[in-house]
Amino acid sequence: MGNLVEIRDLNVSFSTARGSVRALRDVSFDVPRGRIVGIVGESGSGKSTVIWAMTQLLAENGRVEGGEIRFEDRDILKYDADSLRAFRGAQASIVFQDPMTSQIPVKSYLQQMLDIAYRNRDQSRAEKTEHAIAMMRRVGIPDPEQRIRQFPHQFSGGMRQRTGIAMALLMHPQLLIADEPTTALDVTMEAQVIHLLRELQREFQTTMMVVSHNLGLVAELCDEIVVMYAGEVVERGDIGTVFASPAHPYTRALIDCDPARVLERSRYLPTIPGELPDLRRPPDGCVFVARCPHALARCHSERPRDHAAGEGQSVRCHLFDPTAPQATGMSLPHGQTAATPNRAVESVDAPVLISVRDLHVSYQASGGPRALLPGQKRPSIDVLVDVSLDLRRGETLGLVGESGSGKTTLGRSILGLVPAKSGSVRFEGRELTALGEHAFRPLRQNMAMMFQDPIGSLSPRQTVRSLILEPFDVHRPDAGDRDALAERLADMVNLPRELLSRYPHQLSGGQARRVGVARALALEPQLIIADEPTAGLDVSVQGDVLNLMRALQIERGLTYLIISHNLPVVRHISDRLAIMYLGRIIEQGDCEAIFHHPAHPYTEALVNGIPRPDPTQRRQLVSIEGDVPSVARRPAGCEFHARCRYATDLCRAESPAERPLSDGRTVRCHYPLID
Amino acid sequence: MWSYFCKRLGLSVVIVLCALLALFLLLHLIPGDPVKIALGTRATPEAIARYAEKMHVHEPIYYQFWIYFTQVLSGDLGADVFSNRSVTTIVLEALPSTLILAAVSLFWAALIGIPLGCLSAVRPNSWFDRLTGVLSVATIAIPSFLVSIWSLLVFAVMLKWLPVIGAGDPGDFWDQVSHLILPAFAVGLGWVGYLARMVRASMLEVMNENYIRAARAFGLRERTIVFRYALKVAILPTITLIGIGFSGLLSGTVFAEIIFTRPGVGKLIYDMVMNRNFPVVQGAVLVTTAVYVLITLCADLVVAWLDPRVRDSL
Repeated sequence: MGNLVEIRDLNVSFSTARGSVRALRDVSFDVPRGRIVGIVGESGSGKSTVIWAMTQLLAENGRVEGGEIRFEDRDILKYDADSLRAFRGAQASIVFQDPMTSQIPVKSYLQQMLDIAYRNRDQSRAEKTEHAIAMMRRVGIPDPEQRIRQFPHQFSGGMRQRTGIAMALLMHPQLLIADEPTTALDVTMEAQVIHLLRELQREFQTTMMVVSHNLGLVAELCDEIVVMYAGEVVERGDIGTVFASPAHPYTRALIDCDPARVLERSRYLPTIPGELPDLRRPPDGCVFVARCPHALARCHSERPRDHAAGEGQSVRCHLFDPTAPQATGMSLPHGQTAATPNRAVESVDAPVLISVRDLHVSYQASGGPRALLPGQKRPSIDVLVDVSLDLRRGETLGLVGESGSGKTTLGRSILGLVPAKSGSVRFEGRELTALGEHAFRPLRQNMAMMFQDPIGSLSPRQTVRSLILEPFDVHRPDAGDRDALAERLADMVNLPRELLSRYPHQLSGGQARRVGVARALALEPQLIIADEPTAGLDVSVQGDVLNLMRALQIERGLTYLIISHNLPVVRHISDRLAIMYLGRIIEQGDCEAIFHHPAHPYTEALVNGIPRPDPTQRRQLVSIEGDVPSVARRPAGCEFHARCRYATDLCRAESPAERPLSDGRTVRCHYPLID
Repeated sequence: MWSYFCKRLGLSVVIVLCALLALFLLLHLIPGDPVKIALGTRATPEAIARYAEKMHVHEPIYYQFWIYFTQVLSGDLGADVFSNRSVTTIVLEALPSTLILAAVSLFWAALIGIPLGCLSAVRPNSWFDRLTGVLSVATIAIPSFLVSIWSLLVFAVMLKWLPVIGAGDPGDFWDQVSHLILPAFAVGLGWVGYLARMVRASMLEVMNENYIRAARAFGLRERTIVFRYALKVAILPTITLIGIGFSGLLSGTVFAEIIFTRPGVGKLIYDMVMNRNFPVVQGAVLVTTAVYVLITLCADLVVAWLDPRVRDSL
């Protein structure tokens, strides 16, 4: 078969205002024909730079300094403009990360696909159209004849990504590059897309490169893996070998950090201490030396070469140098493992802090010109329906759901940021929904919000110091020594004090998240509502933030409401879970019980939807089909029935009431999977 | 799309009605006798009495508005104080000349400005981009009356290539065209720079979008990417701007009209303000407002037609 792509000693650098960043250094690996190669790494690892260098689409300040990228034995880097254009899209094509931004909004899919097919000069327009429709049908778009004439904004996220795959495969390329193909998607969509990609790869005999930070995705989809760190390939090999016996200390740490790896709940997640080296001056020795628990003296001064580790496995680490006397790599134990499980408070008997009963929230739709006439009511869209939950003091409740499930709205309505239509929200027994803004304000000191986007939620024109003191400006302007306050808060969240004078754009994601934690904790609230606290963070940093939140919870008896779509993360930090679907809580109860024995078919689908970072446990079927319906057009009966494989006529006709299960859980299903 | 159109049309009607009310109230809100304001200071007592009778000034104000409103609806904008000619006729006589001048000015400005901006954005910071940038700022900065005077001086007086003043013989098409060239040049020049800057800025933004990178990754031709992908998105804010600009030119051509002694709405309003011929001013402003609203509506509809997101959002 041979190799379709051979990358040899690829060097890429980016010139920035603060010097040249050497983003890729001596990257070499092969992509054998007909195989799926996963390129894994955290942000800053250079994994995306590899594919942009391959397609010669590097950002303008990027430059290939040396090396070769051979595609069918021709160096792509030496292509002229015409052969490059013939290569792109036809021989190698890309599935992009975010179908929302990578598809032009003003052209219909048919127009976009005809534009890609311009090269097929011998085909008529009708033939091209037919071919495009066939491809849309192949990736699972219903009614492709009609839908192909629609525009990207008329498609759901999952459908858009399917269409992105159809566009990439339109010219039957030999190489398909997928850049974080599921990162922008919900869990159930992610599983569907993984399945689709694997199926299509088999059918079209395509060679694939998958770039991802998600070990689960790579384990589920790929045959081979390339692990990158700080612009270098640190390990590569067969997927089974690497996951079973990771050789490089970084690979091991990365696999350990993945919360989806551990099935049992451990309250503290392993992390990789330290930070990425400064790539303007890469270290002389090993790139990972500063964070490596097994570093030897020579690791600091001498650059390691690639050594064989297992069968078809190569690792760039001195520990595996067969000529060195201390070659002990093979027998090294795994890196830092999880600390002992620790359940802080038995919260079952703790007093209720927040109690939500039958909460109903709806938005007004615009409703067209007829709505302007007098006497016409504008249609309202129900975002939250009959939501009831209790949050006990000191516990962590995980609020889980896909986009559009209303989880963020619920968090915001507890804080009084969204008006309730009916129902009640009580904080320590005090009704909140009837309070005006003026009466609510002092109460906000007791509840704080951590916003989703760690950097975007901080004002870019304020220093960290003034950002973390802002809650005092609002609620306690006479809070005393402000320098001391700022330093105390920075220390509390392990934020180095010298960062206090920086601005948000100068912070890393993890640091910005710490600022968010400090802001939330400034007034010592009792309740913290955290909206996607780990979104956009690397796995090695994500554990750090969660551990910090956990430590602060034990120290201060905080109560957390964690809103997230990331089930593995939620599982590790929550005492109880509430699963939301289309604005209803469809199941709630003890976290472990739900994960072990989901009662609602949707919960089951979500739990099974998580790709596990274990290539030996690949799923053979997708447990849930279809898309989340729009809240504007709620299905009749049980809202989940169209996607539920157990649905009966009763489900289609009648909405199930909330019913208790024997273990104290509640579920909204006519036929729960357990009693 | 249909509901969007109805909504926008309804809104336009509301805006024109508001303008109508404001124009009516203006006459009554200015301190002094509305009749004297309307007729000017030199009116004879008989004329004032006759006009007062006609305007129903002794009736309650809402009745007066009703009369005015029904008159306007039937196409009667009142009469010129001096000549007693119908204001409707006067304004409609002046309007085409202004519309043509504004349209031709913007047309040539767009024809040059949009490609200039586009090409600058494709090669940012090249010598071409820098030159276009300097020239654009220069054309924006030079006041149009200066351009009018200088072009008149150079091309009409010194070189004698083009006629000096007037709008040309109404029956002779080419004569009219030759009379249009200099004013259109003067009015449009600033817009060349303005549109070039505008298109360049929005093109630069769009060229950085992910879907442009995706289009490249799919191997599309650079020509297709620039003109059929990027420009199709980048042009949208420019269309809105041209719509607003066109409406603004209805009175903004006034300098060119004065200097080249062309008939037109701008010049009409200017002359009538100087003469304190209030009914004509009122009628001209009302018609300009209506045209303004109509053109902005058209621009929005064009944007909605080009951008499916806008089409569906309303």
